[in-house]
Amino acid sequence: MNNAVDTSLFAPSGPGGGNEAILEVRDLCVGFPSDDGILHAVDNVSFDLRANETMGIVGESGSGKSVTSMAILGLLPKYAKITGSVKFRGEEILGVRDKDLTAIRGAKIAMVFQDALTSLNPVFRVGDQIAEAVSVHRKCDRKELRERSLELLELVGIPNPVARLEQFPHEYSGGMRQRAMIAMAIANEPDILIADEPTTALDVTIQAQVLDVLERIRDRTSSSIMLITHDLGVVAGVADRVLVMYAGRQVEMATVDDLFYRGLHPYAQGLLASLPRLDRRGDSGQLSRIHGQPPSLVFLPPGCAFNPRCPHAQPGVCDQNVPLLREVERDHFSSCIRAEELVAKGSES
Amino acid sequence: MSNADLELAVGAEPVARTQWQLFRRRFFKHRLAVVSLVILILITAACAFASRVAPYDISQLDLSLLGTVTGPSWKHWMGTTDSGVDQFSQILHAGQISLQIGFAVAVLSTLFGVAVGALSGFYGGALDKTISAFTDGFLVVPQLAILAVLLQYFGHSPRVIILVLAGLGWTYVARVSRGQVLSFKEKEFVEAARASGAGGPRIIVRHILPNMVGPIMVNLTLSVAGAVITESTLTFLGYGTQPPDTSWGLMLSQNEGAINDTAKLHLLLFPGLMLLIVVMCVNFLGDGLRDAFDPQATHSR
Amino acid sequence: MLTYIVRRILSSVPVLAVVSFVTFWGLRIAYDPLLKFRSARNAATILPIQRKRLGLDQPIVVQWTKWFGKAVRGDLGVSDRTNNAVWGELMHHMGTTMHLVIWGTVVSAIIAISIGIYSAVKQYSVGDYAFTGLSYIGIAMPPFWFALMAIVALVTWPKVHWNLDQPIFYSIGLHGTGRSGVFNLDYYRHLALPVLTLAVQSIASWSRYMRASMLDVLGADYIRAARAKGVPKRRVVLSHALRNALVPLVTVMALDTAFLVGGLIITEKIYSIPGTGSYFLDSLSAGDAPALLGYTLLTAVIVIAANLVADVLYGVLDPRIRLA
Repeated sequence: MNNAVDTSLFAPSGPGGGNEAILEVRDLCVGFPSDDGILHAVDNVSFDLRANETMGIVGESGSGKSVTSMAILGLLPKYAKITGSVKFRGEEILGVRDKDLTAIRGAKIAMVFQDALTSLNPVFRVGDQIAEAVSVHRKCDRKELRERSLELLELVGIPNPVARLEQFPHEYSGGMRQRAMIAMAIANEPDILIADEPTTALDVTIQAQVLDVLERIRDRTSSSIMLITHDLGVVAGVADRVLVMYAGRQVEMATVDDLFYRGLHPYAQGLLASLPRLDRRGDSGQLSRIHGQPPSLVFLPPGCAFNPRCPHAQPGVCDQNVPLLREVERDHFSSCIRAEELVAKGSES
Repeated sequence: MSNADLELAVGAEPVARTQWQLFRRRFFKHRLAVVSLVILILITAACAFASRVAPYDISQLDLSLLGTVTGPSWKHWMGTTDSGVDQFSQILHAGQISLQIGFAVAVLSTLFGVAVGALSGFYGGALDKTISAFTDGFLVVPQLAILAVLLQYFGHSPRVIILVLAGLGWTYVARVSRGQVLSFKEKEFVEAARASGAGGPRIIVRHILPNMVGPIMVNLTLSVAGAVITESTLTFLGYGTQPPDTSWGLMLSQNEGAINDTAKLHLLLFPGLMLLIVVMCVNFLGDGLRDAFDPQATHSR
Repeated sequence: MLTYIVRRILSSVPVLAVVSFVTFWGLRIAYDPLLKFRSARNAATILPIQRKRLGLDQPIVVQWTKWFGKAVRGDLGVSDRTNNAVWGELMHHMGTTMHLVIWGTVVSAIIAISIGIYSAVKQYSVGDYAFTGLSYIGIAMPPFWFALMAIVALVTWPKVHWNLDQPIFYSIGLHGTGRSGVFNLDYYRHLALPVLTLAVQSIASWSRYMRASMLDVLGADYIRAARAKGVPKRRVVLSHALRNALVPLVTVMALDTAFLVGGLIITEKIYSIPGTGSYFLDSLSAGDAPALLGYTLLTAVIVIAANLVADVLYGVLDPRIRLA
């Protein structure tokens, strides 16, 4: 666990970069006490979110992607053990008083949750819930609030917004609820929008519409988006850069193109290979899959957490020390010890 | 769960024993319930053998104390009453009737309530409708009023009190067990038993009732507390136990005048404390049993 | 909504009919309506006349039908004890009882909800454990014993100890002699103990219920979402969570109405308050069957009405429930 990442790696990227980091996450660890011991939900995660970019965080359930986002906003329960640092525009926001965080939550960093039905308060009108998102951060009168709510509903593409304002969440359809959640999140034009599986509960066509809304909003408000998902297809469509997580650790971080075409970690490669693709029809007609089960977060295997399932694992190498995330190629990070060999292999084929 | 029941129904000894062991282990983990059980056993035993355990003979007045109420002392550690009787001894004797009524009412109303509830839930139809209408009717009139009227008419001996209290108490048990039978009726293991040709009575006794043992036991325990409180309240109002019988409620009723005299506080304090301790212990015991029978419910403390 | 309420009221008529019939029949068996004429010198001639006048020669169902027909129009007959109309007497006593009912409910609800919120927000804190312990005692304690101890501790002891002419709180009636109205301290000094007695068990059980309900709600996604919006914690608890946690509590409170009415019998007796509970006890000891019958019907109507109010409130508090 003491695999502290060399933070200099994330210093403002060199030539060609120039985009300053709006959110800097360093050595973030989150543990939950359980009956069997500490459950390491997030283990030494470090990354930068740059201005006006969309960063995808990918991983299967239990990989720590949602916990990471909740830790950033201080939304985890009190018994969670959190260490590390999260800086928003250079200011530490991890472990500060709840009072100080409320000024940031919703105003500077806003969040869209996976299940819009349970994330909307069932006993309040949608219009009032949107208006509240505005009114907790700035003083305005009823008329202003109503106009702003109306404007937001229009912005996220909800038809007949005047009538919709007066309705309760259970009167909305699934896609509309998610749009209402997004309207609420962008109400104060936040610098960062964290979207935690915003499309998972939706039909494919609605998914596309919601993603479209997110993109439109990013372009309009020039905010940064942290898109948490298990769906690589979603990431390929909208993200600029991708962070791949496995068992609470980050395994690969790269631009979308680098990840998809020059993958440097067997886990991410395995994930990609398991996607159905139209352009590469396999001889067998079968999708490849990653064998085995994700490990228990209480009893992680020694060394690389992925080594028991990894086709490239080398006994005596991969199961010794926890591998660090390192910059293998420019702006392309991998935690695989054998990343260079993977590059060589990739260029061979 | 249904697997274990099938085994139980066949009467497989080893499985039944491990079930029992599991139950015992979970129960003994609940420390408050264990302590409560011990206290309850001690109190019950002391009251049951009051004539031997009690330090003084309550029919023999201490003439030197006649007419002078004395507070707690080493000699009379719950003090003495107006007539010079040792209160501790009196409390043990009074406990006999309080506890007797509590236990008897709980057992009778549970037996009758489960039987009626199971039949009405299982067979449904007109029988169910009639019984439900009857038990629902009791919900809209305060119990205390019905009981007072009934006792006024039927008399005040402990036996009558038990029958009247049980005569009303079963309606609650019946409502609860009816609901449970209704849900078990739809379960697969009951359908399996029915498919293999088992008749109604057999299904109820061998397949449904064994599943209800937990809730029934918890209910039985908690209704002891209810009956003890109800008896004392009715007695205090003048419709329960009457002299020459005595109960904790009657002691409080007879000592009511002590509210104006702080020197007689012990006459109100100790009988009431006995009621409080018994009811609290019974409630804790009920909690412990519930947790032991239904391990899933343990998270919600 | 209106059709729902009307339908509910109509559907409660059969329940009231069954309850009143059973009571009617039972009281007819228990109390002889002709008792006061039996000892008369000319009993032999009077009895048949009175029997005919009171309709006792007809079948019990016919007698009850006549009574019920009058009862729904507000005529509950004449009290055997006072020869006054039972309806008028009940309404008169009801006026007194309402003081206890309203204060008792309001005080228990406010205290129980506050304790429930505190215990849920500060789960497993010292305060939470203390309230848990107190609630176990409150639930187990016979209310009449609590009343006796309260009188000793808050009336008798301060009076003796500080040698006061008048106690701080009174334990008899709702007003001092010659006093009336509710806008004076005297009223509250009389009211404190009865209300406390009536409230203690409700506070104990409702606060447990509120705690559980609140804990349930505080774990919900929409609470996390509200916090993510930047709503301050205090407001999350008191607005978002409270509103949702109250929904199930309302039902429990309504179901306890019959229990509250029972508690009035004890409270009014101990504190000598001339309300419906005292009216019931006086009627019972006098064997006043018409009065007992009227009392039963009135309490049944109140309990049914309370349940209706709870269901309507449920619909108001939770927009997902549609009353139809």
